Amino acid sequence: MTTFNRSALFPGLAAVLIPIAIGMVFFYSPLEKTMGSVQKIFYFHLPLALTAFLSFFVACISGIMYLRNRQRIWDARLAASVEIGVVLTTLVLITGSLWGKPIWNTFWTWDPRLTTSLILWFIFASCLILRSAIDEEGKRATFSAVMAIVGFVDVPIVFLSARLFRSIHPTVIRADSVGLETSMLVTLLVCMAAMLVFWVGLYKFRVSLFLQEAMINDLQTDGTKS
Amino acid sequence: MKSLRQIRFLCGKDLRIELRKKESLVSMAFFGVLILVMLNIANGVGKQIDAEAGAGILWVAILFSSVLGLGRVFAREKENGCVAALLISPVSSGEIFVAKALVNFSLMLLAELVLVPIFFVLFGARLSGDPLALLPILVLVNFGFSTTGTLVSAISAGTRRNEVLLPILLFPLLLPLMTLAVKATALALAAKPLADLRGQLEPMAAFCVVFAAAGYLLFPFVLRED
Amino acid sequence: MSEPSSFLRISGLRKSYGSREALRGINLDLQRGEFLCLFGPNGAGKSTLLKIVATLLRPSAGQVKVQDYDLEEHPEQYRAQLGMVSHQSFVYQDLSVLENLEFYATLYGVEQPREKALELLEEVKLADRYDMLAANLSRGMQQRLTIARALVNDPALLLLDEPYTGLDEHAASVLRDQLQTLHSRKRTIVMVTHNLRRGMESATRLGILVRGELVYLQQKADVDPTTFEHLYFRHLEAQ
Repeated sequence: MTTFNRSALFPGLAAVLIPIAIGMVFFYSPLEKTMGSVQKIFYFHLPLALTAFLSFFVACISGIMYLRNRQRIWDARLAASVEIGVVLTTLVLITGSLWGKPIWNTFWTWDPRLTTSLILWFIFASCLILRSAIDEEGKRATFSAVMAIVGFVDVPIVFLSARLFRSIHPTVIRADSVGLETSMLVTLLVCMAAMLVFWVGLYKFRVSLFLQEAMINDLQTDGTKS
Repeated sequence: MKSLRQIRFLCGKDLRIELRKKESLVSMAFFGVLILVMLNIANGVGKQIDAEAGAGILWVAILFSSVLGLGRVFAREKENGCVAALLISPVSSGEIFVAKALVNFSLMLLAELVLVPIFFVLFGARLSGDPLALLPILVLVNFGFSTTGTLVSAISAGTRRNEVLLPILLFPLLLPLMTLAVKATALALAAKPLADLRGQLEPMAAFCVVFAAAGYLLFPFVLRED
Repeated sequence: MSEPSSFLRISGLRKSYGSREALRGINLDLQRGEFLCLFGPNGAGKSTLLKIVATLLRPSAGQVKVQDYDLEEHPEQYRAQLGMVSHQSFVYQDLSVLENLEFYATLYGVEQPREKALELLEEVKLADRYDMLAANLSRGMQQRLTIARALVNDPALLLLDEPYTGLDEHAASVLRDQLQTLHSRKRTIVMVTHNLRRGMESATRLGILVRGELVYLQQKADVDPTTFEHLYFRHLEAQ
């Protein structure tokens, strides 16, 4: 039987790292020449984007694993990662817009990365809508696994197709050099670490919560129609 | 080969039912024309449109009308449990997948035979493109739509909210294909030569192959969990 | 000592949904030509069991064999021996009676599908309505068509899931007679039903499934009908 996650390790770590990260963003990292303090949104925007992507990757893997061995734990992992991923992607879109307005003078632009994020949001939000439409556990798990897999397969496709159009997204990580000053890089890495730790803590709690909900559901329906 | 025969046979059954009642075809064509008319009005009666706006209008009409036909494909099988009957028969899920995709492809093509001419009647005043130039684009989109659509409609038909869920699940996945299709169509409507469209047609073909493969592989999981 | 080898052998069959067990280790041995009727309260797992044998659901554990063809290892040969009748008709409403049968016959690779279809229609007494759309058939006639469809591949094992649902007395007797004929032709039959009277009429073996376990399995000849009824009602009330 699964043991529920009661570990305070990751939440504790996050409670330490997040204030440090925020502090570094505002007090340690330098002011960027052209964009000014608005640029600091980047320290949240990029880690959010990467963890959102991580979420959907985990969702895809969980989907594959569920289809292989049909264990409830994989459905729990899929549900948790899709939920968290949608929330994070929402934040990516919001922070991206907030950053874009003062810089490019528009709240929205159809450049590859933002477009990918938007479509990802739709794909995985539709997965959540699908889950809410099915009461039966096995069917719900199978269908959302398939959609998560197809959705994730779509990601590189979406990105490539958006790339075929002109981009005005700043390319931060270029192939040859990292276009960032050292102190900015350090701040970014700390923010990344904080975000990752936060993600792991949140994910584990959500998985645990899902399993508990499922067990309660089992007890309630025990004895009625199979 | 036996598989091909089974596929052709399954296809034939669906098309025979469809042509007998013409239920899907009529609704698809009718709804598509309705959308074209509404968009004409929305655009401002009498106002001309350019190739780019025209491309968007045409595809909105085709997409929404095609979703109607797609929705019926599995709904009809689920009535009276015919899916179960197919599952216990010697036919394989792969054969069912190909047959259903072919049926959808044909229905879309037939609906487009109505919609494209009407589009030119309503909007074609300033468009110099030749309708036939649209053919490769139509074929590619139909292919991508029917393969992905067969997988997704098998999922949505398994829920209580079939007609509502189908576009919600399908359209986000098809967005990359559609953005390229609209761009290619805009070029075609502006009478650009076919060679100019290669930049769109080739990635579209690649995406179709990827989605057809993903659909084919995931379909058995969707069909059987019911 | 040599036992006659089973026609249908189910060993250690389990099915779970999450942590809920729908079937808890079913063991069953049927000889060729037997007619097993399974009773049980709602949610006992009767339909689940039947659907697993019909390959519509995947088992969580255990084995099912029909005439030595294993469900998982030889799926094609296994399915070729099956016929299924459900309370759903498995019939296309927009096709005619004959078209439906021809379709399924061709699907199963029957040599001369049209001839086979006509032959089956004769048997179920629907020959004069061969042209009628399935949608226009009465419930009783639909049931006859459903049975004809199940017989298209000459199945050695026939599975019936609540076939008496929604049938009036006349249609029910027609069904019972048909089952009788099939039974006399040595087809093995497994039927799941709530209808105690009809089930006991036709069966040679009686079983009761409660909460995923086979709590009772006897030859009908060895059982007193009244005793069985009381036993069954006791199980129903215990729910």
